[in-house]
Amino acid sequence: MSYTPLPPVPEEFKVLSMMHNIGAITIDRSLTPEELAMWTGIEIGIVRDCLQRLKELGYVEHTAINGVEKFHVTKIGIMKVLTLYS
Amino acid sequence: MISWEYPPRIVGGIARHCEGLAKALVKQGCEVHIFTLDFPGAPEYEESDGIRIYRTRSEVGHPNFLSWVLLFNHFIEKRLAAVSKRVNFDVLHVHDWLTAPCSIATKLFVGKPLVFTAHSTENGRSGLHIPDSFTIDGLEWWSTFEANKVIVTSNSMKHEVCGHFNIPWEKVDIIPNAIDPSKYQVGVDRWAVRGRYGIQPHEKLVLCVGRLVPQKGIEYFLHSVPILARRRPEAKFIIVGDGWYRDHLEWVANTTGERWRIGFTGFVSDNDLIALTKSADVMVVPSIYEPFGIVALEGMAAGVPIVASQIGGLTEFIEHDRTGVLVYPRNPESIAWGIEYVLSNPDHARWLAQNAFETVQKSFSWEAIAKKTCRIYEEVAGMQQVKKE
Repeated sequence: MSYTPLPPVPEEFKVLSMMHNIGAITIDRSLTPEELAMWTGIEIGIVRDCLQRLKELGYVEHTAINGVEKFHVTKIGIMKVLTLYS
Repeated sequence: MISWEYPPRIVGGIARHCEGLAKALVKQGCEVHIFTLDFPGAPEYEESDGIRIYRTRSEVGHPNFLSWVLLFNHFIEKRLAAVSKRVNFDVLHVHDWLTAPCSIATKLFVGKPLVFTAHSTENGRSGLHIPDSFTIDGLEWWSTFEANKVIVTSNSMKHEVCGHFNIPWEKVDIIPNAIDPSKYQVGVDRWAVRGRYGIQPHEKLVLCVGRLVPQKGIEYFLHSVPILARRRPEAKFIIVGDGWYRDHLEWVANTTGERWRIGFTGFVSDNDLIALTKSADVMVVPSIYEPFGIVALEGMAAGVPIVASQIGGLTEFIEHDRTGVLVYPRNPESIAWGIEYVLSNPDHARWLAQNAFETVQKSFSWEAIAKKTCRIYEEVAGMQQVKKE
């Protein structure tokens, strides 16, 4: 039986991982999509798509503060990220 | 004790290991201080079961993983420095490489011995294919070099660590993992639990628990599903856990032609995990790299028959056909054979589970592990004393 080589880490997972490493793990440290794009060097459209999927999966949460949308990693999002490093 | 994970921040087995060990050390009369990373909702400082826990927030982050690691080490080191002004530590004990930089620095400025527990190695986890892996491998070597004593959880890990890092055999001691068997002595409505996961009374529940990462070998377990389904059509498969590899594993599950038999639960609570484990007909541990394999020990404590890869630490506490069934790693046919062997021989399976349960009770208590760890602390503290004199 043959197996495919290891797949690359999914793009949204890279965004989740970077959000975590930057420290966006609580509401007070949540970041806008623009800030995330700046930090990670990933194009803003891709960041938005990834955030949407991560939100659907429950790995990030979204808050609107004074009309500005910000995102942070949830507890299960943190646990998901850490599997990459252990 | 210094660790990047400690409950409620649970990644793999290290958090549970540190918690179990710390509680048992307190019972042995040790004063235990835990330094770890923060977690949303957990206090920066607390005393729990006699353990003093310092959770440190990394004030600065960085998207790059290794940069982030060095940054959080810096902040934990600051906390260690502050606390060490008023607490006279006798021994520092670090778990895995992630908090090694701050632990080594602390060892040097407080002048106390360092014990390093190597729970796994980068070389074993993922091989040395990318620059980050070589850096991690170097940090692991540095940790074994700086430590006065290295602890590993199995004989196979001792061979791996001594061979790969070229450190003296006598510098490394084996202290296995342990669990608290009393956690599994709870009443569970087995049929209700199975019903919640869509298992009908006539069906068999095959359970696999672990982080969804390549080294857990879940891909091979999934490839065993169609083989087993032909022989045991009443089998259903539940995979508990989550991880970066999940999308790929779900894709593999879709290719088996038996997707309807396979459930992915994601992360579940401790209570749900115990209930599910106690309700399973067989637990499979299909790892392709496993320094110890605490999940198998948990299954044994829950009284469920174990089918595990004949690899690493698993072979040191699972005796084939006496306390479990060992199968070839990376071999779906062999995994299917092991599961079928258990499901087809219920009386024998009960005997295996009973033997396994007794083994856990006898040899893997936290009390025994804490006593062995205390002896190492005394040994390294003694070495330090001799050096000073």
